Amino acid sequence: MQLLINILISFGVCNLVALSIVTIYYPTRFFHIAHAATLTLSAYITHLFSTQLNIPTPISIPLAITCATATGMLSEITLYKPLRKRNASPMILMIASLGLYTVLQNIISMLWGDDTKSIRTGQVKVGNEFLGAYITDIQITTIAVCLTLFIACILFMKYSRIGRNIRAVASNPELSNIVGIPSNKVILQAFGIGSALAAVAGILIAYDTDMRPTMGFNWLLYGVVAMIIGGVGSNWGLIGGALLLATAQHLAAYYIGSQWMDAVAYIILILFLIAKPLGFSGKRLKKIEI
Amino acid sequence: MEYLLHLLILIGIYAMLSQSLNLSAGFGGMISLAHAGFYGVGAYTAALLSVNCQLPFLLTLPTAMLLSGLLALIVSAIALRTIDDYFIICTLGIQVVIFSLMNNWMSLTRGPLGIPGIPSIQLFGLAIESKPAFLLLTLFFATLIFLSLKKLTGSSFGRTLRALSEDEIFTQSLGKNVYLTKVIAFTASAMLAAVPGTLYAHYISYIDPTSFTVDESIFILSIVIIGGMRNLWGSVIAAAFLVLLPEALRFVGMPNSIAANMRQIIYGGILIFMMFRCGKR
Repeated sequence: MQLLINILISFGVCNLVALSIVTIYYPTRFFHIAHAATLTLSAYITHLFSTQLNIPTPISIPLAITCATATGMLSEITLYKPLRKRNASPMILMIASLGLYTVLQNIISMLWGDDTKSIRTGQVKVGNEFLGAYITDIQITTIAVCLTLFIACILFMKYSRIGRNIRAVASNPELSNIVGIPSNKVILQAFGIGSALAAVAGILIAYDTDMRPTMGFNWLLYGVVAMIIGGVGSNWGLIGGALLLATAQHLAAYYIGSQWMDAVAYIILILFLIAKPLGFSGKRLKKIEI
Repeated sequence: MEYLLHLLILIGIYAMLSQSLNLSAGFGGMISLAHAGFYGVGAYTAALLSVNCQLPFLLTLPTAMLLSGLLALIVSAIALRTIDDYFIICTLGIQVVIFSLMNNWMSLTRGPLGIPGIPSIQLFGLAIESKPAFLLLTLFFATLIFLSLKKLTGSSFGRTLRALSEDEIFTQSLGKNVYLTKVIAFTASAMLAAVPGTLYAHYISYIDPTSFTVDESIFILSIVIIGGMRNLWGSVIAAAFLVLLPEALRFVGMPNSIAANMRQIIYGGILIFMMFRCGKR
């Protein structure tokens, strides 16, 4: 039962992270690695406001989400947009984003130090007992928030104007420009939504397990693996991918040892590649675009 | 003086690493973030064999190369089913798997404790213990790798590699085996990465997994990108530049606590800057 609850929590967070990555990947078609830094940053800003400046939590969390969203949007305006203007390939964008991640992560390390920090205030409570397993209040909140945001995001993407614009740009940027949907503005909105989702995930993770400057990277990679297994643009696939990943990781942690969780995530990815030989992009050969 | 020699040896090791990565990333267009992993496999193989089995350097080096190459052969056969940014994600995965093996396989690698007491190199009855001698050895291997890469990339194999990094479908239409060429190039690059790994293990005489992290991979990749893709001399110069940069920072008087972070920030910044220059067509 404890195992099931752990899987459920991990699934929730993983799904949320994957969702935030997809929101950005969908219209832009490149891996925004600095996303990991956004996730970490939101956790650290919450730490700054609530623990160091003693601002009450209900105010500091929205503030942190706003800051993280601003970071995501700023990186789009200052870095990716000019690069896209120069016809940079997704690979160049990805390497630039890797550079940005290194910069941001080390700024966080420099400001707050490399050691593990906690934003839990007060005593560590013994969790509520539920069918013979323990679950803390934070973990219940995590599951609830993750599921709510996931459903809200699906509905948003499907019915709201911004969501429909994002889908239009994802399927064909030039055509959407022609019919009057400004693709750059839409991508900026997608960056905002994705970064906000990642910020929420970061805060939840930090409340549940503590935080380190490098924590975002692991979660980003889990999210990317879930996204690759599930396929881009398919919400059910995303759920399936996150569920498969969380289950495999926790089974591995239960039977072999928790230090192997990272390796398991990648072994799944590699197994998946063997099973699906054409690769997830469906492309196998590189071709010059004229 | 000792310190200067130490820096020169490090430059030699990074020059070898970046040159071997240049074969797959520069000439073959397969940007890999798993290079520190293969470097680590080389270092660990050499360390374990010489500590546990007392094998001489002339035996550990080929074994390390073979093992690293074998691993690269297996993973590249899978990972090379994908291209471009998906391939980078795959190699990132390989890097994390290799790192967690080094960090968690307690019975073999002693995990985060590392392997101490790696003996120094014995060549033909001569112990290479002093720094000048080791520098000569490093220079010898660096020159060897440089010359063989020069030869390899100038051959018809190298031309095929360069062609496929531009357009694989066109290369295939000329009757070249694209997949096989890519696998061979990736394997060769990993085998060459095991050479500096072996040297590093014998030189420092103590290794632990923190020397072979994702950050290290990013560092090696930035050397290649800064030095210029397909530019072997560029890789040497960029390796010298990036190894000496933190020393320059220390010279300016930056405290040690933030110097490490500052170094990473500069690398990241250079990477972004280079991408801006790349994107300009």
